[in-house]
Amino acid sequence: MIKLAGDLSSGDHVCAIPDSAEHLGEIAAGFVAHGLLRGERVLYFDDDGAADALLRRLAEDGVEIDGPLRRGQLDIQPEEVTRQTFRTALPDVHAGVSAQLAHSLAQGWAGTRLTGQMHSAMAPGAAGTLPEYDGLLARLVRENQDSLTALCTYDPGHFPDEQIDIMRALHRDHLALTGAYDDGLLRIVRLGVGYARLAGEIDHSNRPKITNLLHQQLDAVLRSADAPADIGLDMASVRFVDVASAVAFVHAAEGFPASHRLVLHRVRPRVQRILDRCGAAFSAQLAFDDDPPPVDPPPPAR
Amino acid sequence: MQINAVPRPPGFVHALVHADDPAELVSQVVPPATAAVRDTGARLVVAVSEPVEQALRDELAGTGARIERLTTLTRSARESGQTVAAWRSRELRALASPGKPVLVIAEHDPELDGVDGGFWTELEAALNISLNGLPVTQLCAYPRLPLHGAVGDAALANHPVRLRGEELVANPAHRPPAEVLARWPFAPPHLLGPPDLRLRYNTFELSRVRDAVERAARTCAFDPVRGEDMVQAVNEVATNAVEHGSVEAGLSIWTSPGELVCEVQDAGGDSTAGGGPALPLIGLAPPHPSQPRGRGTWIARQLCDSLHVWRGREGTHVRLLARS
Repeated sequence: MIKLAGDLSSGDHVCAIPDSAEHLGEIAAGFVAHGLLRGERVLYFDDDGAADALLRRLAEDGVEIDGPLRRGQLDIQPEEVTRQTFRTALPDVHAGVSAQLAHSLAQGWAGTRLTGQMHSAMAPGAAGTLPEYDGLLARLVRENQDSLTALCTYDPGHFPDEQIDIMRALHRDHLALTGAYDDGLLRIVRLGVGYARLAGEIDHSNRPKITNLLHQQLDAVLRSADAPADIGLDMASVRFVDVASAVAFVHAAEGFPASHRLVLHRVRPRVQRILDRCGAAFSAQLAFDDDPPPVDPPPPAR
Repeated sequence: MQINAVPRPPGFVHALVHADDPAELVSQVVPPATAAVRDTGARLVVAVSEPVEQALRDELAGTGARIERLTTLTRSARESGQTVAAWRSRELRALASPGKPVLVIAEHDPELDGVDGGFWTELEAALNISLNGLPVTQLCAYPRLPLHGAVGDAALANHPVRLRGEELVANPAHRPPAEVLARWPFAPPHLLGPPDLRLRYNTFELSRVRDAVERAARTCAFDPVRGEDMVQAVNEVATNAVEHGSVEAGLSIWTSPGELVCEVQDAGGDSTAGGGPALPLIGLAPPHPSQPRGRGTWIARQLCDSLHVWRGREGTHVRLLARS
């Protein structure tokens, strides 16, 4: 069954296969943010820098994380704990997670969300196989239908293809994934007519995708009777733009009809510096906005 | 209706002055400097030895001219004439921006000759590109018989005009930069020893280049913005290498506390086929705002302390250096 990220609730145990590291961050941040919003405690198992990427993406999505971290609502289990968990006998893991679920309820949280980077289940010395751990999680969800939601992610960067195929087949429920361009370096998610969110890095290898996107967005806006006059790109998660791409943004804006503008939202300082060097400040039809585009972005993992 | 009624300001005037000692130098340049201040309100800027500067101040005291100094060259800049030309362009662009012409008085310094005097050949050829169009007149003083014969010959070829008496006259021996560098090629920079990291990459692996430079900048204890600037600069050069050079290119990195050197090598040919400036004098002048490409190397030169391009037997090399 395909489930929407915004509809997940206690008793759900879903699987997602992200296209890239950016996509993984988008899915995990969406799952965590939704849980925080529902008053649930989030147990996140860190490994290989995944928690840093999660926190960065949550901040880029405008999710307040200082309070949840301080209150223990967002509880990040360090890498060593994650790895130790997978070296622990399955019955002991069951007992430990059950105790955590009870602790969440005792602390007054509405339930518990569980996710993280779990590839150390495949490491030498693991006490079970990946399917065995997933079976244990399925049992825990069944036993705690009213208080546990679990998201299992299997990214190609950490899991071999054959293992991903097995885990995909083992899960009954899958997260609905957004149609997007994703080349592993840059991810483009359309948010609506004339609006898109970019994440990752823009360089010589994927620059044509940006110029195509701008042309398509402009075309869609011009053909729509009630579309806004601005083409908006949310740049909060864009970490690098090369010079030729920065020039492409400026020139694309200058090529728009006089009635339309290109608005870049939440541009990071590093990217802003290179846009400035490429004449962005002198382009009347290129504007900057510190707020997100004026649309309700869907939950990132939808 | 008259088109172009407003006269265009004169562009860069690059003049050779022959002077064998400080006294002759001062006596040659004072009349045109006085005239420039009196007639056009020009700013006077110097890159000369201290005794010459003092003598100029004394001689020009009555004109009311304020004499400014160009930035003293750092060690890394002294090894790359093209880097100095890029710096001079930035400095003089800022000085000339209010629309006021600038008169530069520069002097040959034999300490920078190196093994063959190539620094001066490269610098003067690069200045013809980097200062092109700026309202700048530069008087370059050279001895008639410098230690390296190539210094005198190349100086004659690099200057479109010569100072004769109080007048600037056309120099029939002048040659364009590409021709000058073909005739008097400069030596490659000194070898740096085995790099700390060497990698090969193609068009789709530029992120590996950026990651490697980012890690190296952290090793060198650069502050984040300095590190990001170096990543950007190397990315632009690395992109050029696989876009215009060869399918695959190489990156070498040398790290030391507070200093990062990156070198990109490709097996490609000269870019002159595309009508651009001759290697190694690329990225010295800002491209026109409407030009979609060609800005990368120009910006890269501004983001690091030194960017030096040269042609080797096996292809093109670009060495970038940044200090914290």
